[in-house]
Amino acid sequence: MLRRLGATASEQALCLGLIVFVGAISAAPLARLLLEGIAPGGRLDLGVLASVLGAPRTWLAAERTLATVLVSTAIATVLGGAFALLVGATDLRGKSALAFIFLLPLMIPSQVTAIAWINLMGPASPLLKTLGLAPAPGTPHPLYGFAGISAVMGLEHAPLVFLAFRAGLKTLPGEVIEAAELQGASRFRIIGTIVLPMTLPALAAGAALAFVSALGNFGTPALLGIPAGYSVLTVLIYQQLAGFGPNAIPETAVLSLLLGLLALVGIAAERWLSRRHDVRADQLHARRLISLGHVAPFFEASAWGLLALIVAVPLAALVAAALVKAYGLPLTSDTLTLDNLSYVLTEHAATARAAANSLLLAATTAVIVAGISALLGYLVVWRDNAISRGLAIAAELPYALPGMVLALATILVFLQPLPLVHVSLYGTLGIILAAYLARFLVLALKTTVAGYLQIDNALEEAAALEGAGLWRRIASVILPLAAPAVAAGAVLVFLVALNELTVSALLWSAGHETLGVVVFSLEQAGDSTLAATLSVLVAAATVALMALATVAARRLPQGVLPWQG
Amino acid sequence: MIGKLAIAAVLALLSAAAQAQSGKLTLYTSQPDRIAAETVAAFNKQHPGVTVETFRSGTTEVMNKLAAEFLAGDPKPDVLFIADAVTMESLKADDRLLADPEADVTAFPPAAYDREKTYFGSKLITTGIVYNTAAPRPQSWLDLLAPAAKGQVVLPSPLYSGAAVIHMAAVSAAPMLGTDYYAKLAENRAIAVQGNGAVVTQVAGGQRMYGVLVEFMALNARAKGSPVDFVFPKEGVSAVTEPVAILKTAKNPEAAKAFVAFILSKPGQELAAAQGFLPARTDVAPPPGFPKPAELTILPLDIAAATRDTQALKERFSQLFGG
Repeated sequence: MLRRLGATASEQALCLGLIVFVGAISAAPLARLLLEGIAPGGRLDLGVLASVLGAPRTWLAAERTLATVLVSTAIATVLGGAFALLVGATDLRGKSALAFIFLLPLMIPSQVTAIAWINLMGPASPLLKTLGLAPAPGTPHPLYGFAGISAVMGLEHAPLVFLAFRAGLKTLPGEVIEAAELQGASRFRIIGTIVLPMTLPALAAGAALAFVSALGNFGTPALLGIPAGYSVLTVLIYQQLAGFGPNAIPETAVLSLLLGLLALVGIAAERWLSRRHDVRADQLHARRLISLGHVAPFFEASAWGLLALIVAVPLAALVAAALVKAYGLPLTSDTLTLDNLSYVLTEHAATARAAANSLLLAATTAVIVAGISALLGYLVVWRDNAISRGLAIAAELPYALPGMVLALATILVFLQPLPLVHVSLYGTLGIILAAYLARFLVLALKTTVAGYLQIDNALEEAAALEGAGLWRRIASVILPLAAPAVAAGAVLVFLVALNELTVSALLWSAGHETLGVVVFSLEQAGDSTLAATLSVLVAAATVALMALATVAARRLPQGVLPWQG
Repeated sequence: MIGKLAIAAVLALLSAAAQAQSGKLTLYTSQPDRIAAETVAAFNKQHPGVTVETFRSGTTEVMNKLAAEFLAGDPKPDVLFIADAVTMESLKADDRLLADPEADVTAFPPAAYDREKTYFGSKLITTGIVYNTAAPRPQSWLDLLAPAAKGQVVLPSPLYSGAAVIHMAAVSAAPMLGTDYYAKLAENRAIAVQGNGAVVTQVAGGQRMYGVLVEFMALNARAKGSPVDFVFPKEGVSAVTEPVAILKTAKNPEAAKAFVAFILSKPGQELAAAQGFLPARTDVAPPPGFPKPAELTILPLDIAAATRDTQALKERFSQLFGG
């Protein structure tokens, strides 16, 4: 009896600690943002709300947001769905390589992808100029504005649909397909009448994810929209804060709430759809793949051709732009130079500073959220109660909601000097770290929970019977077993945090830039060749880290790296 | 007695250290990256002991970062080196600037610096029209409203650039252009981008044929071989003075004063001329290709009115150009 009471006390301490942590980084800022929208200055005042909602600019941005988000979601759904069908339901060859490359636009940051496409398609494109295909001077850039934003975001978010749909396809009972094949149904008939209807909720859940991600995307609509005077909500929030400073906080808070509200619709849809598709695979039956037979070469060629077009060609244009002497010139033996590279690597102070900042932020965030999620995951999996469920939702929201919303919430809480210590986190890396902890906790938590679910609870129960207290059990039984999953979560968080832009775009201060911010600022300031050069380096580093993680993943539990089956 | 001596010795040591000018100096500037780096390198030749940490962005963004730092209670910069005097005036009104009575301004025209010596104009940067040489040469600001320029004009945003704020204020106050000039630009489907750098990129790259731009960027791009040229329109150009100032909260005021002295010195002004700027000092020759300052028509600007109207101008711009 005494032992049980002791266990409860330490469990209460654990709960309390987690509530304080998650509350401080996630719940408090979001609540403060909500308050700012309806009661700026602490008193109920709907004046700002009314004036922002009455401004034509707000509705123009909302309309443009919805237009680009819906079209990009449609593109992402068709593309991601088709690829998932090929990779997840057929016997196509080279699936791992296909999946790895298809997921690159998700892992490479959106500002880099956008810059690659800008350099590929415009009148100044070094690649097109070299081939003599560049549009005539005076032609507007074909990607600036609605069409470009929708198309590039569609490519960036197709991997999300791919992942969700492929996971759905895995749960498809093999015997159904087998039976249909025995009855002589064609493969297209099987896909149309069996596979798609059974997995439609998974595809729709993926589409909802793409919808929410497109709402929160900042890099692509900013780089492709600002030069055309086409601002979506995330970009409008950024422009108002950059242009009006702290004065714009009340207005941008209202804009963030509007953006958050739209996102909540998508999040709710995703939740509902995911729950509808909870078919457990029959583990006894091996998954049955549809044989492509003699049409396999056609599909293989199409898949690789498409990947070349949407991934390899833009990256090649990026490299060409980085190697050309001056913006607007074709790439020839006369204009080829490594000066941009050496300038970025050795002279550009902001790059070196940002690289150090981003590495430090990503590493610190990864270690802290991995540690927290090891503890929180334990509660979520084995102490399923109101508190653990509430904590899980509070951890999820800052990631599910658009990054701009979280960034603004973080400014509201951390701009003023902290109580007791009288130091403000603003103007330090601390404020970015606080936002990163909130944003990326759930990424580590999800991998960790997946890991805990694969562990047999009996071991811990045995340790408890032996009289080991909670902390002892966590340290000696639970953590060692969960370590691989926790490590995988840390790797994922590190990769994503290293490339982050949306949150740091609002939170950076002088000397505390992130890599994402420097790439973005260079392109915005018109230093296109330097922006392309740094983009090449960032893309190369991302691919290298992904490859490294893949090699290390042989020691990790199955399915923790998104690009692995 | 011994105590007094010790204090005197410490003071002497302190002032010696100050003359050596060492330590960290934080500089917030709106100069383009490479130009700012050259300026710092030249300053470091005279004062190798000072480590300069530079932060650059458009003047508006620099000021908004600074405003947030004021709110947070810990402003970082020692020296501000930004586009325009109007911004400096508002900082001076808020009692943020440190006067530097020792600064040597004998070679400067009186209009270039603040009488109380809290900020010092370093050059004259004018805003005119850049055009892609594939397009006909414009003569007037009104040419940007012509049907031929529809959808072909790109301009820097006052929400980012200090020179763009001044330009909007000066143009709006000019009787022949007027307050609705910007509305007409927007009607002619002109596009706003963040800074001047993005304007020259778009015009040089042929995405738009005309741009509203500071002259040195256009002339530098032309010198590098880009297919662009620059026009001082007949109605006149707007002008900023790129002032330098020390914050009252500067952590290294001695190094800050040395930096200001360098910017105002003859070598500092010669560097500016070599970088393609019209120097403020009367005893330094302007770079080749510049009209004589006396021949330039400068759109008049009421600094007090501009200081008062900045927020309203930016808000109007944001409503017109959606950013």
